[in-house]
Amino acid sequence: MPLLPPVLYHYFRTPLPYTRTLLLQEKIHQLQLAARRSSSHHDILLLLEHRPVYTSGRRQTEQELYAERARLTSIGAEFSIAARGGQLTYHGPGQLVGYPLLDLARTSPPIGIRDYICKMQKMIQSYLLRTHGITHVPSDHTGVFLDPVTKIASIGVQVRHRLTTHGFAMNVTKEPLEWFAQVVACGLVDVKAGCITEANGRDVRVEDVVPGIVDAFGTLYGRDMVKLYPQSAGELGEAILALEEDALAAGEWLRAPSLT
Amino acid sequence: MFSAIRQAARARTMSLTAARTSPSIIMRMPSCRTIVTKKYTEEHEVVAFDDETGLGAVSITDHAQESLGDVVFVELPAVGSKVSKGDQIGAVESVKAASDIYAPVSGIVTEVNEGLNSEPGLLNRSPEEKGWLCKIRLSAPEEMDKLLTLESYKATWEA
Repeated sequence: MPLLPPVLYHYFRTPLPYTRTLLLQEKIHQLQLAARRSSSHHDILLLLEHRPVYTSGRRQTEQELYAERARLTSIGAEFSIAARGGQLTYHGPGQLVGYPLLDLARTSPPIGIRDYICKMQKMIQSYLLRTHGITHVPSDHTGVFLDPVTKIASIGVQVRHRLTTHGFAMNVTKEPLEWFAQVVACGLVDVKAGCITEANGRDVRVEDVVPGIVDAFGTLYGRDMVKLYPQSAGELGEAILALEEDALAAGEWLRAPSLT
Repeated sequence: MFSAIRQAARARTMSLTAARTSPSIIMRMPSCRTIVTKKYTEEHEVVAFDDETGLGAVSITDHAQESLGDVVFVELPAVGSKVSKGDQIGAVESVKAASDIYAPVSGIVTEVNEGLNSEPGLLNRSPEEKGWLCKIRLSAPEEMDKLLTLESYKATWEA
């Protein structure tokens, strides 16, 4: 049985604008589709934070979102509709976002979607337990819960031709919490957002969790994880560097929602 | 069997009286059901083509619904849209994963299964019957030949 190639991962140190990152995902997806014909495509894991943004999935219509869009942009966040599963959620500094861009059909048989999501959930759960001693409670809802009303991580994925985009988001510091409090996230009315810092009683930064998550990802998906060097990664690398430049040029971001 | 059906379809739609195969190969008796051909794609779509109406009912396979999990939302194409084989025509969402559906054949969408708006679970309970997604009037019935038979389809995912 042929060995699966490693997953190349890259961690962006500066919070990224959401829409530009969507374009990067799309670009990588197209590169993968084209290279797949000669089986020379790579599986990628992007790890990052976003600048404050609320995003909705495919289920809600433009009409339904109209009022929300106006309200949320007025408190200082971006607003975007994404083609992923799941409903309204928040991304921002202090939250680790992961975009695994994988080809589920590398194995025969291909990894099923339910299985893919299940592994993603388990990866986050096992990371929280092993590195932080944080236990989760099982839930009927997709995502990771600390108790029935506290959600620490969300999942929302898109699959096209067995290639994945979007992924997971895990709250690390308290910074996202006040932003989450402005909405009903994921359609779950009584649920509030939790984070590692609060659950731990100790300050943890996003950059601290990256190595552990990379490890957990490799373990759960049975893959070697290899760091990507954008300077020597062709078109893919150039796109990554361009986005990082954009992110730096965007300057400072709002630390808390502007509620006056 | 498939080529005989295809010939019969052409014989009817074309005004030429000389059909390549004699119509007696298929004995159409009034009490028989119309002949429906089911073909599959690697992307887990099924199209059940009724050569009498020229319509193909598109759905996802039982294997697909199993591997998706509980379906919570189905995005369907607009009635009247012209689609080409391979175009994205909708999506199925389950457990926070939105999975795109592609047109297995080219043509015009004549009907969509509105029941799925209120009961997306139909896709899990009856993926190839009550959970049909849409009906396409095929512009090129010969595209059916290029699709997979049930055996070939199963071979793509069975270990």
